[in-house]
Amino acid sequence: MIQFKNVGKTYPNGVEALKNVSLEIKQGEFVAVIGLSGAGKSTLVKLVNKMHEVTLGDLVVNGITVDSTLKGKELRKFRRKIGMVFQSFNLIGRTSVIKNVLAARVADMSLMQSLLGLYTKEDRLLALEALDKVGILEKAYSRADQLSGGQQQRVALARTLAQNPDIILADEPVASLDPITANQVMKDFERINKELNITVIANMHHVDMALKYANRVIGIRGGEVIFDGPSKEVNEALLKDIYGREITDEDIMFKPEDNEGL
Amino acid sequence: MVNKLKLWIEKATFQTQDSRQFYLSNGKEVKQPYSYTPLIIFALLVVSAFAWNVTNVNLIRMFLRIENFFNVLLRMAEPRWSYFDRALGPMIDTIQMSFLGSLIGALLALPVAFLSANNITKNKAVLSSTRFSLSLVRTLPVLVYAAILSLVFGFGVFAGTVAIAIFTFGILSKMLYENIETIDLSAYIAIEATGATKSRAFLTAIVPQILPSYLSFSLYSFEINIRYAAILGYVGAGGIGLLFDDRMAWRRYDDVAVLIIMLFVVVFTIESLSRYLRRRLT
Amino acid sequence: MQKVNTPLEMLAQAPKRWLPITLAFVTILGMSIWSLSVIRVPEINDSGLVIVGSIIRSFANPNWDWLLSWGPSSIPYQMYETVAIAFLGTFFGAIMAIPMAFLSARNITGRFYSFIGIVAVTMIRTFPVFILGLMFIRVTGPGPFAGVMTISVASIGMMTKLYVESIEDIDKGVLEALDATGATTLQKIRYGIIPQLSANFISNSIYRFEINVRNATILGLVGAGGIGFTLISAMSAYRWNDAAAALWGIIIVVLFIEYFSTRIRKKIASGE
Repeated sequence: MIQFKNVGKTYPNGVEALKNVSLEIKQGEFVAVIGLSGAGKSTLVKLVNKMHEVTLGDLVVNGITVDSTLKGKELRKFRRKIGMVFQSFNLIGRTSVIKNVLAARVADMSLMQSLLGLYTKEDRLLALEALDKVGILEKAYSRADQLSGGQQQRVALARTLAQNPDIILADEPVASLDPITANQVMKDFERINKELNITVIANMHHVDMALKYANRVIGIRGGEVIFDGPSKEVNEALLKDIYGREITDEDIMFKPEDNEGL
Repeated sequence: MVNKLKLWIEKATFQTQDSRQFYLSNGKEVKQPYSYTPLIIFALLVVSAFAWNVTNVNLIRMFLRIENFFNVLLRMAEPRWSYFDRALGPMIDTIQMSFLGSLIGALLALPVAFLSANNITKNKAVLSSTRFSLSLVRTLPVLVYAAILSLVFGFGVFAGTVAIAIFTFGILSKMLYENIETIDLSAYIAIEATGATKSRAFLTAIVPQILPSYLSFSLYSFEINIRYAAILGYVGAGGIGLLFDDRMAWRRYDDVAVLIIMLFVVVFTIESLSRYLRRRLT
Repeated sequence: MQKVNTPLEMLAQAPKRWLPITLAFVTILGMSIWSLSVIRVPEINDSGLVIVGSIIRSFANPNWDWLLSWGPSSIPYQMYETVAIAFLGTFFGAIMAIPMAFLSARNITGRFYSFIGIVAVTMIRTFPVFILGLMFIRVTGPGPFAGVMTISVASIGMMTKLYVESIEDIDKGVLEALDATGATTLQKIRYGIIPQLSANFISNSIYRFEINVRNATILGLVGAGGIGFTLISAMSAYRWNDAAAALWGIIIVVLFIEYFSTRIRKKIASGE
């Protein structure tokens, strides 16, 4: 369970990214955070594994208080149970897919083992299982830079699965993919969320994608949560409120003529 | 026999068939391909050991006597500036040698590059024979050309200039034909279709595409040739190398320092200028 | 954007490129005339022509005893020594270039230190190979060991430059991803930085090895080992058949290495 209690975040340069956020996310939920760019979506997601640090209020993740005292070894241990997926995939292109996935196991290995790159057979099997779960097992020994964008994002997803996480954070996971591929990747997220009961928190610019796959939507505007509820309850008036303007073509991935829109 | 050896190698590198076989929980099987990395590392170690042995590398001796190297450097730290007047002439010779050599080499490289580009020349025999001759030209270091040519033409700047021209021709032709092979020929065909002559189409459609890189490569050759030109004097091909040879033999490191500083200034100026121009070109 | 009415007005606005082109042309022409005025084309006399003739003839008839035997003075052994010098020289140079490259990379050390690194590397590069060779002979005595040291120091410049390019291209996102998995700094270097650099480092080293084999063939001239001594002394004594044997040795080995170097580097760039 993730609890935000009156959380605020002000960056060192004085920008107030989040104001007075209070939320409770239960294990196994699929949450989409939507809003304009710069509204604070990314900050909200990155607070959870302390990629950014809370400046006001309390954040408790699975019983652990995420504040300035969580650091060093404790922080690394905490992060092992939280996977993260990025917009730009962040894979090492020149190495094989399986090695990219195995990199997630490194944090659990002893220093010598990890420096020499001696993965156990269990680790390798776990990595292969993770690749199988996202449907690209046959690419395990290809070089990552030879894969398409969608396949690369799946590798990144497999990498987080190899961590055996309780929570997966996703920072604009499909924003740099084409609509069809984006749908496939989101389906993987959906399946993993359901089958493995892993909490997924994704910040997404594209409203249609968010509404289609998430059970719960959090709308942010100017650093404040202005909507928090089931995706079914989201309507056009609400979206207009969150975005502060009409929804344009840029905010949805499938254009109306694609027959797949809202 | 081969199979047995294969199995033995797999075992020795801890990659038996078994250890590379994975059974997934849903029944799928995956076979990890054999990694050649351990074998490559082993081969490199063997090669290093042989190389170490034949070259008598001795690091202890190196550390014990490295001060001799720094003593020379220390003596270079006090250049005898009055040597500058003596060195100026040969330095200018060196610049002229590499400029003219680069220019001649660059002019010769242009037609040959077209002859060796597989999108321009369709004749396989011409293509492979010109390419092979080019790689033959590139095998010999510029100093070897200079040594031969100074016996043919007599000692002096002329032999050095020709040596640099040959060397430039070799590397520039290759860089150029690789570049020509990447250009888009459709413009050429389109212009030819408007009724223009072949040479006219060539001038308007192909020349503009390769001209910037041609100039850029030529400048680059000029840039690297200065360094080569500086040592050609060792085999009598003129320039500042003669002085380097003479001053090192007399252990006049204070004079050598002047030569190195002059060379540094020249190389630095030409490199900066050439880099600036090359950036403008591309 | 300014509104343009007629083609004629448009024509008047066309970028004026004639100035830089003329300037470049005049510069090149000027420098050519200046260079040509000093270079005196020698008359090729009979002895020059005789030499050309003997070189061509001896290429068809090199000193086969040298070319096809194995002993300290044989061509195969000397080429073996030459390649060994280049190999170890490249290896040491590649290692020495790593700290220089991290020092010179702007995204690692910042503007000031990277400037210092670049100046240091440029200074090292200015030393002609023969000067380095003679300096190292004072340390190691004459022979291939001096050649190894010379080649390694002479390689630092180019290898540092190439390394710096790949270091400045590092994708920081990979480090962020590793951070999110809970990796330590050491693990981040091992799994985030090294894999991003290693392919380029290996490729550059192979390329430099190719160049170093050519460089190592001339080091013998100052007594730093390799085939160069045999070659140059044969030439200056007009023993053309011996020189041709050495030249054949160089040509065959360099072609062979160039072929494999290109193939391996292509493979690294594209992935198996």
